[in-house]
Amino acid sequence: MWGSAGRSLIGPASALLSTVLLGGCVSATVDEMTYNEPVAGIGESSVVILGRRHAPDYDTEFDFIECIGDHIHSGDPSIEVINEIAFINQFYPWFEPRTAPMQPQTIDRLLELPIVANQFAEMKLEYMIWIDGKTVDTDSVGSMSCGIGPGVAGCFGFGTWGTESEYEATIWDFTDKIEVGKVSAVTSGQSYMPAVIVPIPIIAPVQGTACDSLGDQLLEYLSAHH
Amino acid sequence: MRRWLFLLCLTLLGAGCASRQVVVDGNFPSPLLDPLPVTLGVIYPQAFAEHEFFDEAKGRAETDWLVKTGEAQVTFWDNIFSGMFDEVVHIRDWQTVQNRGADIDGVIIPAISDLQYTIPTHTNVKIYEIWMRYDFRLVDISAIHRQEDGALTFNPDERLAAWPITAYGKTPTAFLQTDEEAVNLAAVVALRDAGAHFITTFGATPDIAVWLDGIASGARANDPMPTPGKLEEPVPVIEEENQGSDMPEETDGQATTATLDDSGLDATTPEGRS
Repeated sequence: MWGSAGRSLIGPASALLSTVLLGGCVSATVDEMTYNEPVAGIGESSVVILGRRHAPDYDTEFDFIECIGDHIHSGDPSIEVINEIAFINQFYPWFEPRTAPMQPQTIDRLLELPIVANQFAEMKLEYMIWIDGKTVDTDSVGSMSCGIGPGVAGCFGFGTWGTESEYEATIWDFTDKIEVGKVSAVTSGQSYMPAVIVPIPIIAPVQGTACDSLGDQLLEYLSAHH
Repeated sequence: MRRWLFLLCLTLLGAGCASRQVVVDGNFPSPLLDPLPVTLGVIYPQAFAEHEFFDEAKGRAETDWLVKTGEAQVTFWDNIFSGMFDEVVHIRDWQTVQNRGADIDGVIIPAISDLQYTIPTHTNVKIYEIWMRYDFRLVDISAIHRQEDGALTFNPDERLAAWPITAYGKTPTAFLQTDEEAVNLAAVVALRDAGAHFITTFGATPDIAVWLDGIASGARANDPMPTPGKLEEPVPVIEEENQGSDMPEETDGQATTATLDDSGLDATTPEGRS
Protein backbone atom coordinates (compact mmCIF):
# COMPACT_ATOMS: atom_id res chain seq x y z
CA MET A 1 0.00 0.00 0.00
CA TRP A 2 2.73 2.36 0.98
CA GLY A 3 4.76 1.33 -2.01
CA SER A 4 1.85 2.01 -4.29
CA ALA A 5 1.25 5.48 -2.82
CA GLY A 6 4.96 6.22 -3.11
CA ARG A 7 4.99 5.33 -6.79
CA SER A 8 1.88 7.41 -7.46
CA LEU A 9 3.52 10.44 -5.84
CA ILE A 10 6.83 9.97 -7.65
CA GLY A 11 5.17 10.38 -11.07
CA PRO A 12 3.67 13.86 -10.53
CA ALA A 13 6.67 14.96 -8.48
CA SER A 14 9.11 14.07 -11.22
CA ALA A 15 6.88 15.74 -13.81
CA LEU A 16 6.78 18.88 -11.67
CA LEU A 17 10.53 18.75 -11.19
CA SER A 18 11.14 18.38 -14.90
CA THR A 19 8.79 21.27 -15.63
CA VAL A 20 10.59 23.48 -13.14
CA LEU A 21 13.98 22.39 -14.45
CA LEU A 22 13.28 22.59 -18.17
CA GLY A 23 11.08 25.65 -18.09
CA GLY A 24 11.99 28.74 -16.11
CA CYS A 25 9.37 30.62 -14.10
CA VAL A 26 7.09 33.05 -15.92
CA SER A 27 4.76 35.63 -14.46
CA ALA A 28 1.89 37.03 -16.48
CA THR A 29 -0.47 39.98 -16.07
CA VAL A 30 -3.53 40.21 -18.31
CA ASP A 31 -5.88 43.17 -18.61
CA GLU A 32 -9.11 43.11 -20.53
CA MET A 33 -11.66 45.72 -21.46
CA THR A 34 -14.23 44.64 -24.05
CA TYR A 35 -17.67 45.75 -25.21
CA ASN A 36 -20.46 44.35 -27.38
CA GLU A 37 -19.41 40.75 -26.94
CA PRO A 38 -20.98 38.49 -29.59
CA VAL A 39 -22.86 36.27 -27.14
CA ALA A 40 -23.93 33.85 -29.85
CA GLY A 41 -20.45 33.71 -31.33
CA ILE A 42 -19.46 35.00 -34.75
CA GLY A 43 -21.28 32.34 -36.77
CA GLU A 44 -19.91 31.91 -40.28
CA SER A 45 -18.02 35.17 -40.22
CA SER A 46 -14.27 35.29 -40.07
CA VAL A 47 -11.58 36.99 -38.02
CA VAL A 48 -8.22 38.29 -39.06
CA ILE A 49 -5.36 38.92 -36.63
CA LEU A 50 -2.72 41.38 -37.79
CA GLY A 51 0.54 42.58 -36.28
CA ARG A 52 1.52 46.24 -36.07
CA ARG A 53 4.86 46.90 -37.76
CA HIS A 54 5.12 50.65 -38.06
CA ALA A 55 7.31 51.26 -34.99
CA PRO A 56 10.92 52.16 -35.78
CA ASP A 57 12.57 49.76 -33.35
CA TYR A 58 10.50 46.59 -33.43
CA ASP A 59 8.04 44.51 -35.42
CA THR A 60 5.30 42.44 -33.88
CA GLU A 61 6.47 38.93 -34.71
CA PHE A 62 4.66 37.00 -37.46
CA ASP A 63 5.00 33.75 -35.52
CA PHE A 64 3.36 35.33 -32.47
CA ILE A 65 0.34 36.31 -34.58
CA GLU A 66 0.21 32.79 -35.97
CA CYS A 67 0.39 31.39 -32.44
CA ILE A 68 -2.64 33.41 -31.33
CA GLY A 69 -4.59 32.42 -34.43
CA ASP A 70 -3.82 28.76 -33.82
CA HIS A 71 -4.78 29.11 -30.16
CA ILE A 72 -8.18 30.59 -31.03
CA HIS A 73 -8.90 28.10 -33.79
CA SER A 74 -7.89 25.13 -31.66
CA GLY A 75 -10.08 26.43 -28.80
CA ASP A 76 -13.10 26.80 -31.06
CA PRO A 77 -12.70 25.23 -34.53
CA SER A 78 -15.86 27.00 -35.72
CA ILE A 79 -13.99 30.32 -35.68
CA GLU A 80 -12.28 30.92 -39.00
CA VAL A 81 -9.05 32.82 -38.47
CA ILE A 82 -7.59 34.17 -41.72
CA ASN A 83 -3.85 33.71 -42.16
CA GLU A 84 -2.10 37.02 -41.67
CA ILE A 85 0.42 36.83 -44.51
CA ALA A 86 -2.22 35.61 -46.97
CA PHE A 87 -4.48 38.50 -45.93
CA ILE A 88 -1.75 41.14 -46.27
CA ASN A 89 -0.79 39.79 -49.70
CA GLN A 90 -4.40 39.60 -50.83
CA PHE A 91 -5.00 43.23 -49.87
CA TYR A 92 -1.62 44.59 -50.96
CA PRO A 93 -0.82 47.50 -50.61
CA TRP A 94 -3.54 48.48 -48.12
CA PHE A 95 -2.18 46.73 -45.02
CA GLU A 96 1.52 47.50 -45.34
CA PRO A 97 3.18 49.31 -42.40
CA ARG A 98 2.89 52.59 -44.32
CA THR A 99 -0.76 52.20 -45.31
CA ALA A 100 -2.43 50.08 -42.62
CA PRO A 101 -5.43 51.80 -41.02
CA MET A 102 -4.69 53.06 -37.52
CA GLN A 103 -8.32 53.79 -36.59
CA PRO A 104 -11.38 51.68 -37.39
CA GLN A 105 -13.12 54.70 -38.93
CA THR A 106 -10.52 54.89 -41.70
CA ILE A 107 -11.64 51.53 -43.06
CA ASP A 108 -14.47 53.39 -44.77
CA ARG A 109 -11.91 55.05 -47.01
CA LEU A 110 -10.63 51.66 -48.05
CA LEU A 111 -14.15 50.46 -48.77
CA GLU A 112 -14.56 53.29 -51.27
CA LEU A 113 -12.44 51.15 -53.59
CA PRO A 114 -14.97 48.72 -55.11
CA ILE A 115 -12.45 45.93 -55.63
CA VAL A 116 -11.40 46.11 -51.98
CA ALA A 117 -14.98 46.28 -50.75
CA ASN A 118 -15.87 43.20 -52.83
CA GLN A 119 -12.98 41.23 -51.35
CA PHE A 120 -14.05 42.09 -47.83
CA ALA A 121 -17.65 41.13 -48.61
CA GLU A 122 -16.55 37.74 -49.94
CA MET A 123 -14.45 37.18 -46.87
CA LYS A 124 -17.34 37.88 -44.45
CA LEU A 125 -14.91 39.56 -42.11
CA GLU A 126 -16.49 40.36 -38.75
CA TYR A 127 -13.53 41.24 -36.54
CA MET A 128 -10.09 42.66 -37.23
CA ILE A 129 -7.71 42.25 -34.31
CA TRP A 130 -4.49 44.25 -34.20
CA ILE A 131 -1.66 43.02 -32.02
CA ASP A 132 1.09 45.45 -31.07
CA GLY A 133 4.07 44.44 -28.98
CA LYS A 134 7.30 42.54 -28.78
CA THR A 135 9.37 40.08 -26.81
CA VAL A 136 12.85 41.14 -25.78
CA ASP A 137 15.70 39.65 -23.82
CA THR A 138 16.78 41.83 -20.93
CA ASP A 139 19.80 41.69 -18.67
CA SER A 140 22.00 38.62 -18.83
CA VAL A 141 24.70 37.52 -16.40
CA GLY A 142 27.08 34.62 -15.99
CA SER A 143 29.79 33.08 -18.06
CA MET A 144 30.48 29.83 -19.76
CA SER A 145 33.55 28.41 -21.38
CA CYS A 146 33.73 25.52 -23.77
CA GLY A 147 36.74 23.57 -24.86
CA ILE A 148 37.64 20.81 -27.23
CA GLY A 149 40.59 18.46 -27.11
CA PRO A 150 41.62 15.09 -28.48
CA GLY A 151 38.75 12.81 -27.57
CA VAL A 152 37.08 15.19 -25.16
CA ALA A 153 34.87 18.25 -25.38
CA GLY A 154 32.68 20.08 -22.94
CA CYS A 155 31.47 23.30 -21.36
CA PHE A 156 31.48 24.61 -17.84
CA GLY A 157 29.74 27.63 -16.38
CA PHE A 158 26.38 29.19 -15.75
CA GLY A 159 24.36 31.84 -17.54
CA THR A 160 21.01 33.47 -16.90
CA TRP A 161 18.96 36.05 -18.74
CA GLY A 162 15.56 37.65 -18.48
CA THR A 163 12.87 37.87 -21.14
CA GLU A 164 9.93 40.25 -21.24
CA SER A 165 6.87 40.27 -23.48
CA GLU A 166 4.38 43.06 -23.77
CA TYR A 167 1.48 42.81 -26.20
CA GLU A 168 -1.80 44.62 -26.66
CA ALA A 169 -4.65 43.36 -28.80
CA THR A 170 -7.15 45.88 -30.14
CA ILE A 171 -10.41 44.44 -31.43
CA TRP A 172 -12.23 46.24 -34.24
CA ASP A 173 -15.81 45.42 -35.14
CA PHE A 174 -15.49 45.44 -38.90
CA THR A 175 -19.23 45.82 -39.54
CA ASP A 176 -19.76 48.87 -37.37
CA LYS A 177 -16.20 50.23 -37.80
CA ILE A 178 -15.72 50.70 -34.09
CA GLU A 179 -13.24 49.54 -31.52
CA VAL A 180 -14.89 47.03 -29.22
CA GLY A 181 -12.12 46.09 -26.85
CA LYS A 182 -8.54 45.90 -25.78
CA VAL A 183 -6.70 43.02 -24.19
CA SER A 184 -3.14 43.26 -22.99
CA ALA A 185 -0.68 40.73 -21.64
CA VAL A 186 2.62 41.45 -19.92
CA THR A 187 4.79 38.46 -19.14
CA SER A 188 8.31 38.09 -17.89
CA GLY A 189 10.56 35.25 -16.93
CA GLN A 190 14.08 34.18 -16.20
CA SER A 191 15.93 31.54 -18.19
CA TYR A 192 19.00 29.61 -17.00
CA MET A 193 21.74 27.66 -18.68
CA PRO A 194 23.96 25.63 -16.35
CA ALA A 195 26.73 23.69 -18.05
CA VAL A 196 28.71 20.82 -16.62
CA ILE A 197 30.17 19.22 -19.73
CA VAL A 198 26.82 19.61 -21.50
CA PRO A 199 24.87 22.92 -21.40
CA ILE A 200 21.30 22.41 -20.21
CA PRO A 201 19.02 25.27 -21.30
CA ILE A 202 16.11 25.96 -18.95
CA ILE A 203 14.09 28.36 -21.06
CA ALA A 204 11.22 30.42 -19.64
CA PRO A 205 8.35 30.25 -22.16
CA VAL A 206 7.64 33.97 -21.91
CA GLN A 207 6.30 34.57 -25.41
CA GLY A 208 4.33 31.32 -25.34
CA THR A 209 2.66 32.37 -22.09
CA ALA A 210 1.80 35.76 -23.59
CA CYS A 211 0.32 33.96 -26.60
CA ASP A 212 -1.78 31.67 -24.39
CA SER A 213 -2.91 34.56 -22.18
CA LEU A 214 -3.99 36.79 -25.06
CA GLY A 215 -5.39 33.84 -26.99
CA ASP A 216 -7.56 32.76 -24.03
CA GLN A 217 -9.01 36.24 -23.60
CA LEU A 218 -9.72 36.65 -27.31
CA LEU A 219 -11.24 33.19 -27.47
CA GLU A 220 -13.49 34.06 -24.56
CA TYR A 221 -14.62 37.17 -26.40
CA LEU A 222 -15.19 35.59 -29.81
CA SER A 223 -16.50 32.14 -28.95
CA ALA A 224 -19.99 31.23 -27.80
CA HIS A 225 -18.60 28.14 -26.08
CA HIS A 226 -16.15 29.81 -23.72
CA MET B 1 51.56 19.06 -40.82
CA ARG B 2 52.96 22.55 -41.47
CA ARG B 3 51.15 22.62 -44.78
CA TRP B 4 47.80 21.85 -43.11
CA LEU B 5 48.46 24.47 -40.46
CA PHE B 6 49.23 27.02 -43.14
CA LEU B 7 46.03 26.14 -45.01
CA LEU B 8 44.01 26.41 -41.80
CA CYS B 9 45.46 29.86 -41.07
CA LEU B 10 44.76 30.93 -44.64
CA THR B 11 41.17 29.74 -44.38
CA LEU B 12 40.64 31.57 -41.10
CA LEU B 13 42.15 34.74 -42.51
CA GLY B 14 40.04 34.45 -45.64
CA ALA B 15 36.90 33.89 -43.61
CA GLY B 16 37.52 37.15 -41.79
CA CYS B 17 37.72 39.06 -45.05
CA ALA B 18 34.95 37.23 -46.93
CA SER B 19 32.45 39.43 -48.71
CA ARG B 20 28.72 38.94 -48.37
CA GLN B 21 26.52 38.91 -51.43
CA VAL B 22 22.74 39.11 -51.59
CA VAL B 23 20.73 38.71 -54.77
CA VAL B 24 17.36 40.04 -53.68
CA ASP B 25 14.62 37.53 -54.26
CA GLY B 26 11.01 37.48 -53.14
CA ASN B 27 7.42 36.79 -54.08
CA PHE B 28 5.49 39.95 -54.70
CA PRO B 29 1.69 40.12 -54.62
CA SER B 30 -0.34 41.87 -57.29
CA PRO B 31 -1.86 45.13 -56.07
CA LEU B 32 -5.57 45.09 -55.30
CA LEU B 33 -6.66 47.97 -57.49
CA ASP B 34 -9.04 48.88 -60.24
CA PRO B 35 -6.57 49.57 -63.08
CA LEU B 36 -6.43 53.08 -64.49
CA PRO B 37 -7.60 53.31 -68.12
CA VAL B 38 -4.09 54.10 -69.27
CA THR B 39 -1.66 52.45 -71.65
CA LEU B 40 1.70 52.93 -70.00
CA GLY B 41 5.06 52.55 -71.64
CA VAL B 42 7.86 51.41 -69.33
CA ILE B 43 11.57 51.74 -69.83
CA TYR B 44 13.93 50.17 -67.32
CA PRO B 45 17.33 51.78 -67.86
CA GLN B 46 20.26 49.40 -67.70
CA ALA B 47 21.51 50.83 -64.42
CA PHE B 48 18.08 50.22 -62.89
CA ALA B 49 17.59 46.72 -64.25
CA GLU B 50 21.07 45.71 -63.15
CA HIS B 51 21.14 47.78 -60.00
CA GLU B 52 23.49 46.67 -57.30
CA PHE B 53 24.87 48.27 -54.20
CA PHE B 54 28.41 47.66 -53.04
CA ASP B 55 29.66 48.66 -49.61
CA GLU B 56 33.34 48.17 -48.98
CA ALA B 57 34.47 47.07 -45.53
CA LYS B 58 35.87 49.97 -43.53
CA GLY B 59 37.86 47.86 -41.12
CA ARG B 60 39.07 44.34 -40.44
CA ALA B 61 36.03 43.64 -38.31
CA GLU B 62 33.67 44.42 -41.19
CA THR B 63 32.99 42.63 -44.45
CA ASP B 64 32.24 43.84 -47.96
CA TRP B 65 28.57 43.77 -48.90
CA LEU B 66 27.16 43.45 -52.40
CA VAL B 67 23.38 43.74 -52.64
CA LYS B 68 21.98 43.06 -56.11
CA THR B 69 18.43 44.38 -56.41
CA GLY B 70 18.08 44.82 -60.20
CA GLU B 71 16.25 41.65 -61.11
CA ALA B 72 13.88 41.96 -58.15
CA GLN B 73 13.24 45.61 -59.03
CA VAL B 74 12.13 44.72 -62.55
CA THR B 75 9.96 41.84 -61.37
CA PHE B 76 8.40 43.95 -58.65
CA TRP B 77 7.68 47.07 -60.71
CA ASP B 78 6.32 44.99 -63.61
CA ASN B 79 3.87 43.58 -61.10
CA ILE B 80 2.92 47.01 -59.78
CA PHE B 81 2.49 48.64 -63.18
CA SER B 82 0.49 45.70 -64.52
CA GLY B 83 -1.90 46.01 -61.59
CA MET B 84 -2.20 49.80 -61.79
CA PHE B 85 -2.72 50.32 -65.50
CA ASP B 86 -4.92 48.77 -68.17
CA GLU B 87 -1.97 47.95 -70.38
CA VAL B 88 1.78 48.07 -69.95
CA VAL B 89 4.11 48.20 -72.94
CA HIS B 90 7.80 47.47 -72.37
CA ILE B 91 9.77 49.78 -74.60
CA ARG B 92 13.08 48.20 -75.37
CA ASP B 93 13.71 49.25 -78.95
CA TRP B 94 12.79 51.90 -81.47
CA GLN B 95 10.46 49.49 -83.27
CA THR B 96 8.23 49.32 -80.22
CA VAL B 97 8.14 53.11 -80.10
CA GLN B 98 7.05 53.24 -83.72
CA ASN B 99 4.57 50.38 -83.58
CA ARG B 100 2.90 51.18 -80.27
CA GLY B 101 3.63 54.88 -79.89
CA ALA B 102 0.15 55.96 -80.90
CA ASP B 103 -1.43 53.84 -78.14
CA ILE B 104 0.90 54.83 -75.34
CA ASP B 105 -0.34 57.58 -73.02
CA GLY B 106 2.97 58.09 -71.27
CA VAL B 107 6.28 56.43 -70.59
CA ILE B 108 7.53 55.88 -67.08
CA ILE B 109 11.25 55.64 -66.41
CA PRO B 110 12.32 54.62 -62.89
CA ALA B 111 15.75 55.17 -61.40
CA ILE B 112 17.30 54.39 -58.03
CA SER B 113 19.15 57.42 -56.76
CA ASP B 114 20.19 56.08 -53.35
CA LEU B 115 20.25 52.91 -51.31
CA GLN B 116 21.46 52.58 -47.74
CA TYR B 117 21.47 49.64 -45.39
CA THR B 118 22.33 48.86 -41.80
CA ILE B 119 22.93 45.56 -40.07
CA PRO B 120 23.18 44.90 -36.33
CA THR B 121 26.98 44.97 -36.38
CA HIS B 122 26.79 48.58 -37.63
CA THR B 123 24.28 49.87 -35.12
CA ASN B 124 24.13 47.42 -32.20
CA VAL B 125 20.37 47.41 -32.75
CA LYS B 126 18.86 44.04 -33.56
CA ILE B 127 17.33 45.23 -36.81
CA TYR B 128 18.36 44.98 -40.45
CA GLU B 129 17.28 47.99 -42.49
CA ILE B 130 17.23 49.01 -46.15
CA TRP B 131 16.36 52.51 -47.31
CA MET B 132 15.90 53.40 -50.97
CA ARG B 133 15.14 56.51 -52.92
CA TYR B 134 13.69 56.35 -56.42
CA ASP B 135 13.42 59.06 -59.02
CA PHE B 136 10.50 58.45 -61.35
CA ARG B 137 10.07 60.32 -64.60
CA LEU B 138 7.03 60.30 -66.81
CA VAL B 139 7.54 61.45 -70.38
CA ASP B 140 5.44 61.51 -73.49
CA ILE B 141 6.30 58.94 -76.12
CA SER B 142 7.38 61.81 -78.38
CA ALA B 143 10.21 62.56 -75.96
CA ILE B 144 11.82 59.19 -76.71
CA HIS B 145 14.43 59.49 -79.43
CA ARG B 146 16.81 57.16 -81.18
CA GLN B 147 20.50 57.75 -81.46
CA GLU B 148 22.55 56.80 -84.49
CA ASP B 149 23.72 53.62 -82.79
CA GLY B 150 20.12 52.61 -82.11
CA ALA B 151 20.14 53.42 -78.42
CA LEU B 152 17.04 55.10 -77.04
CA THR B 153 17.35 58.48 -75.39
CA PHE B 154 14.98 60.89 -73.78
CA ASN B 155 15.30 64.48 -72.81
CA PRO B 156 14.35 64.92 -69.14
CA ASP B 157 13.27 68.47 -69.92
CA GLU B 158 10.46 67.08 -72.00
CA ARG B 159 9.03 65.31 -69.01
CA LEU B 160 5.39 65.30 -68.02
CA ALA B 161 6.24 64.68 -64.39
CA ALA B 162 9.17 63.84 -62.15
CA TRP B 163 8.82 62.79 -58.56
CA PRO B 164 10.79 60.96 -55.88
CA ILE B 165 9.63 57.94 -53.91
CA THR B 166 11.32 56.78 -50.74
CA ALA B 167 11.02 53.30 -49.32
CA TYR B 168 12.04 51.67 -46.08
CA GLY B 169 12.21 48.08 -45.04
CA LYS B 170 13.32 46.49 -41.82
CA THR B 171 13.39 43.09 -40.28
CA PRO B 172 14.41 42.08 -36.78
CA THR B 173 17.05 39.51 -36.05
CA ALA B 174 15.67 36.01 -35.91
CA PHE B 175 16.91 32.70 -34.64
CA LEU B 176 18.79 30.71 -37.30
CA GLN B 177 18.57 33.57 -39.79
CA THR B 178 21.74 34.56 -41.60
CA ASP B 179 22.74 38.15 -42.30
CA GLU B 180 22.13 37.55 -46.01
CA GLU B 181 18.62 36.23 -45.43
CA ALA B 182 17.79 39.16 -43.18
CA VAL B 183 19.11 41.75 -45.66
CA ASN B 184 17.11 40.06 -48.43
CA LEU B 185 13.98 40.17 -46.30
CA ALA B 186 14.55 43.84 -45.46
CA ALA B 187 14.97 44.58 -49.18
CA VAL B 188 11.74 42.76 -50.01
CA VAL B 189 9.93 44.77 -47.32
CA ALA B 190 11.46 47.96 -48.75
CA LEU B 191 10.27 47.06 -52.25
CA ARG B 192 6.77 46.43 -50.96
CA ASP B 193 6.90 49.76 -49.17
CA ALA B 194 8.05 51.46 -52.38
CA GLY B 195 5.07 50.00 -54.21
CA ALA B 196 2.68 51.08 -51.46
CA HIS B 197 4.15 54.58 -51.50
CA PHE B 198 3.98 54.77 -55.29
CA ILE B 199 0.39 53.58 -55.49
CA THR B 200 -0.95 55.79 -52.72
CA THR B 201 0.73 58.99 -53.94
CA PHE B 202 0.56 58.51 -57.71
CA GLY B 203 -2.70 60.33 -58.38
CA ALA B 204 -1.96 62.98 -55.78
CA THR B 205 1.21 64.16 -57.50
CA PRO B 206 0.11 67.43 -59.19
CA ASP B 207 1.72 66.83 -62.59
CA ILE B 208 0.40 63.27 -62.66
CA ALA B 209 -3.08 64.52 -61.81
CA VAL B 210 -2.91 66.92 -64.77
CA TRP B 211 -1.74 64.08 -67.01
CA LEU B 212 -4.52 61.77 -65.85
CA ASP B 213 -7.11 64.52 -66.31
CA GLY B 214 -5.82 65.00 -69.86
CA ILE B 215 -6.25 61.30 -70.60
CA ALA B 216 -9.70 61.25 -69.04
CA SER B 217 -10.77 64.19 -71.17
CA GLY B 218 -9.50 62.43 -74.27
CA ALA B 219 -6.57 64.72 -74.97
CA ARG B 220 -3.11 63.27 -75.41
CA ALA B 221 -0.54 65.17 -73.44
CA ASN B 222 1.78 65.81 -76.33
CA ASP B 223 3.01 69.12 -75.04
CA PRO B 224 5.61 68.52 -72.39
CA MET B 225 6.02 70.92 -69.52
CA PRO B 226 8.33 73.76 -70.49
CA THR B 227 11.40 73.95 -68.29
CA PRO B 228 14.14 76.57 -68.27
CA GLY B 229 17.58 76.01 -69.66
CA LYS B 230 16.68 73.45 -72.32
CA LEU B 231 19.64 72.58 -74.48
CA GLU B 232 19.42 71.98 -78.18
CA GLU B 233 21.84 69.07 -78.12
CA PRO B 234 21.12 66.05 -75.96
CA VAL B 235 23.88 65.06 -73.59
CA PRO B 236 24.32 61.40 -72.61
CA VAL B 237 24.51 61.18 -68.85
CA ILE B 238 24.88 57.56 -67.85
CA GLU B 239 27.23 57.52 -64.92
CA GLU B 240 28.58 54.05 -65.04
CA GLU B 241 30.91 54.58 -62.10
CA ASN B 242 28.09 55.65 -59.81
CA GLN B 243 26.22 52.43 -59.19
CA GLY B 244 23.63 53.98 -56.97
CA SER B 245 22.39 56.52 -59.47
CA ASP B 246 21.64 55.94 -63.09
CA MET B 247 20.17 59.35 -63.75
CA PRO B 248 21.88 62.18 -61.93
CA GLU B 249 20.06 65.18 -60.60
CA GLU B 250 19.64 68.04 -62.98
CA THR B 251 21.62 71.16 -62.32
CA ASP B 252 20.20 74.63 -62.62
CA GLY B 253 20.09 75.89 -66.13
CA GLN B 254 21.42 72.69 -67.62
CA ALA B 255 19.34 70.01 -69.16
CA THR B 256 20.43 66.47 -69.78
CA THR B 257 19.39 63.53 -71.87
CA ALA B 258 19.50 60.00 -70.56
CA THR B 259 20.75 57.23 -72.80
CA LEU B 260 18.80 54.02 -72.48
CA ASP B 261 21.14 51.22 -73.33
CA ASP B 262 19.45 48.70 -75.62
CA SER B 263 21.61 45.83 -74.54
CA GLY B 264 20.80 46.39 -70.92
CA LEU B 265 17.10 46.58 -71.61
CA ASP B 266 17.11 43.44 -73.69
CA ALA B 267 18.54 41.48 -70.82
CA THR B 268 15.77 42.48 -68.47
CA THR B 269 12.56 42.39 -70.40
CA PRO B 270 10.00 39.91 -69.10
CA GLU B 271 10.50 37.80 -72.20
CA GLY B 272 14.19 37.71 -71.54
CA ARG B 273 13.89 36.45 -68.00
CA SER B 274 13.32 32.84 -67.17
